Amino acid sequence: MTTLSEPRAFRRIAVFGGVYSNAHALAATLADVRRREVDAVFCLGDLGGCGPHPDRVFPLLRDAGVRAIQGNYDLAVAEGHTDCGCGYTDPRDNHFAHLSYAYTLARTATENRRWMAALPGHRRLRLGGLPALLCHGSPRAISEFLWESTTPDGLVARFLDDARAQLILCTHSGIKWHRRLADGRHLVNVGVIGRPENDGTTGVWYTLLTAESGGDLDVEFVPVAYDHEMLAKEMDAEGLPPEFAETVRTGWWTTCLEVLPGRERSQGRF
Amino acid sequence: MAFRHLAALWVQITGTLCNLQCVHCINASGPREPWLPPLDAETARRHITEAAALGVKEIYFTGGEPFMHPAIMPLLAFALERAPTTVLTNGTLITDATADALVALAAAARYSLEIRVSLDDPDRERNDAIRGRGAFERALRAIVRLNARGLLPILTATETEAAPGGDRYARLRALLLEAGVRKPRVKLLPLFPVGRAQGRGGGTVTREMLAAVDPARLQCSETRAVAAGGVYVCPILSGLPEARMDGATLADTLVPNRVDHPACLVCWQTGSSCRNA
Repeated sequence: MTTLSEPRAFRRIAVFGGVYSNAHALAATLADVRRREVDAVFCLGDLGGCGPHPDRVFPLLRDAGVRAIQGNYDLAVAEGHTDCGCGYTDPRDNHFAHLSYAYTLARTATENRRWMAALPGHRRLRLGGLPALLCHGSPRAISEFLWESTTPDGLVARFLDDARAQLILCTHSGIKWHRRLADGRHLVNVGVIGRPENDGTTGVWYTLLTAESGGDLDVEFVPVAYDHEMLAKEMDAEGLPPEFAETVRTGWWTTCLEVLPGRERSQGRF
Repeated sequence: MAFRHLAALWVQITGTLCNLQCVHCINASGPREPWLPPLDAETARRHITEAAALGVKEIYFTGGEPFMHPAIMPLLAFALERAPTTVLTNGTLITDATADALVALAAAARYSLEIRVSLDDPDRERNDAIRGRGAFERALRAIVRLNARGLLPILTATETEAAPGGDRYARLRALLLEAGVRKPRVKLLPLFPVGRAQGRGGGTVTREMLAAVDPARLQCSETRAVAAGGVYVCPILSGLPEARMDGATLADTLVPNRVDHPACLVCWQTGSSCRNA
């Protein structure tokens, strides 16, 4: 897995993950980002997923100059794997994961598969004075879920030590959170823009990170509203499982639930 | 097998002391004098502290029946200050008072507390033939008690043999839904040929098979278990002399291990992990 380093330091960046073929949310996110005076925009991977028409997100990403890394979905689609490698262990989770993966794999153009194949696995950059590592799941595994309730401080410290970083950014799990260790270092799960985060609202979230040289880090989670009804209609028209569209319409996860820790699971409807 | 990182520390807190005596138990636990004694609280705390410093992701308490240990509640509180913590129980000792105490513990904790309740077969008679008379009813009652309080237990079933009536997972899920559990959680584990199921396996992992496997598929590349007598390679083989790792500290045991027990073949074949997900 390759790591790409940014040559210059940034003051403010926008970061999102988990596009899941949701071109409507991606367009709304990029429109919001344009108003924020950011130095660069990063995507932490998983461009395909439960949404319709997977090829529609690529021109948006390329035209906006988004600097992406590879998620497990991108790796799997690029290389034509038999499953998405999401890291599910439960039969019901795997059933739905297989449906969306088969749909996405069959409809992603060769050109876009090549583009994903060329993406780096990690990126390194400096934000203000802070060395940062960008990864998909965790620094050590592309499909590792980092949930707030099951990621202990000791593990975060270990990741930061190993990465020689002051800041780690990740996605993959689908719910945003921010941990500031007592020593001032940070891990931020930037969330996903492809589906709502199981709180009964239909919007999605991206993350703005700002650090002046020598100053501390400011982390802002930014809500994004988009035409979710249009997305749901397209999903229905494409014959995707109605459970996926229900999540888009209601904001409650209906699938891929078994991977949630008890605390996060208890906050959802299902 | 190469060691990757310490994702899970298993604490064999009651050794093989249990109030049930299941026919497939991986360490032949039961109510009589345990062949593997309970772990003292101080040793458990020392290993949990070291594991946290090493960056462990999760702590698991198992046995035997963990709720037979006199210090289980303070030990859970101790572990939860450091890492997400899971207890594997048969559910029979989870009274209303214990359920209340667990919910209070979970609410006060920074990290997730998970309770895994063992119930093997959706059919009461078949389950009790494996786990003992009344085990089905008592396990289900514990699940309902915890669930009613908002702590969502994970029903954990061993795939003892092909269940008549088909898909064990779907039927266990249906059982929970019928019992009023709106967020059913089910984990299946394969049968391991060790303990009372010794002899039910078919061979061992060869050198060639081991060379061909991704270490991430085998949980021994990311787990260790502490029990009376030392640190062992994984929770399935805890207490067995051939699975004991040398070393004075937990860190000393994070080195390559043998993969030559018949139970290792099940991990190799299934890629199964004893972790929650």
